Amino acid sequence: MNTPPVTPVIDIQNLSHAYGRADAVHDFSLTVPAGRCYGLFGRNGAGKTTTMKCLLSLLRPKHGTVRLFGLDPAKHEVAVKRRLAYVPDQVAFYPWMTVRETLDYLASFRTHWNKETERALLDRFRLDPAQKTGGLSKGQRTQVALVGAICPEPELLVLDEPTSGLDPIVRREFIETVIGAYQEGDPGNRTILVSTHLITEFEGLIDEFTIMDAGRAVVHLGADEARAKYQKIRVRFAETPPKLDLPGALQVKSSGRELELVVNGGGPEMMERLRALSPESLTSEALTLEEIFVATLKT
Amino acid sequence: MIFSLNFKSGLPVYLQVVDQVKAAAASGALKPGEALPFIRPLAEELRVNRNTIAKAYTELESQGVIETIPGKGCFLAANHSPLKKDARRKLLIRDIDQAVVQAHHLQVPPDEFLDLVRDRLEVLAERQRHHDQPREPQSTPA
Repeated sequence: MNTPPVTPVIDIQNLSHAYGRADAVHDFSLTVPAGRCYGLFGRNGAGKTTTMKCLLSLLRPKHGTVRLFGLDPAKHEVAVKRRLAYVPDQVAFYPWMTVRETLDYLASFRTHWNKETERALLDRFRLDPAQKTGGLSKGQRTQVALVGAICPEPELLVLDEPTSGLDPIVRREFIETVIGAYQEGDPGNRTILVSTHLITEFEGLIDEFTIMDAGRAVVHLGADEARAKYQKIRVRFAETPPKLDLPGALQVKSSGRELELVVNGGGPEMMERLRALSPESLTSEALTLEEIFVATLKT
Repeated sequence: MIFSLNFKSGLPVYLQVVDQVKAAAASGALKPGEALPFIRPLAEELRVNRNTIAKAYTELESQGVIETIPGKGCFLAANHSPLKKDARRKLLIRDIDQAVVQAHHLQVPPDEFLDLVRDRLEVLAERQRHHDQPREPQSTPA
């Protein structure tokens, strides 16, 4: 099958950016094809927001190239921005405007606005159109921002720590809305880039992810592939085992006769090796994305 | 039908959905002609990517387990004998292997293990007899 090469929605190559002397982002590359949900995971200060700001041309890269839909966002700002929407971690609106006026204001910058989706979402979030945004809670402001991001039906949705600081119910609704209202429209053309450290909540949504640390990409994997590769193995022996040499184990915890280790690939081989020591019990399970995140950054 | 996903199983998420539909079909929890949940509400409920559910349904359709009626949704195929023999065996072998390994760890010797399997087959056959009694034979158009 010969399909013509498709331009990725996001293409970052060797990006570096520095605020002072030290690089906040260093030689970072990332490609997201259309229709995917891509996670950018990292601790506070890992460089996630800087990367997103370079992507949205809110910051200028020091080195490297950034392309959105194949275009340079610094040169084709309008052409690029009409095709995407961005929900930042801190949402700010004009406090004297009502929810209705705010959405009308946001819609005035857009060539397309789905009124029906707007009505359904206002209903779902139980938002009062007549309320001034100054009186909204943080969760409600994020909801208004999400309505404003989804109604134009953009090809790309950029979410920067969208659910941090929100209560669990609002977080759930947020993610359900991204899956339902956003993805439903034209699934093959609905791309999501989300940065977060609340990884568990996004576990099912993420197709592929990069873990960033100190401005660099540490791990880059598909979500299913990652869960198949990273395994936690628990083994218990009849007696306290002799010191075992276990190359390839990322983390080893031991307590008396029990041993717990984490491997990145080579799980079956490790199981085989441990089985040869005739343990009392031997089990393994996949790591969740959050556990993979912790295992990666702790070693 | 109700799905439950386990991110710790190490199985791709879409395959878990595929397996659960097949299991529901095999156990009678899902009957021929019965509707599967729509993609969007199911994806929202499980909080997984919509494309994951779509991929699972596409896979089920290509294996002949379900049928899609445009505008109406997905249904368990009426003449539901979807799996080729070796595909069915493959599915089973995976589970049997797990049980065999588990038996080894629990120090259940092979003959005891086989006895247990026979026991379970009887128990389940008994249950199936109860389950099947009220049902009338399905007539499917050729």
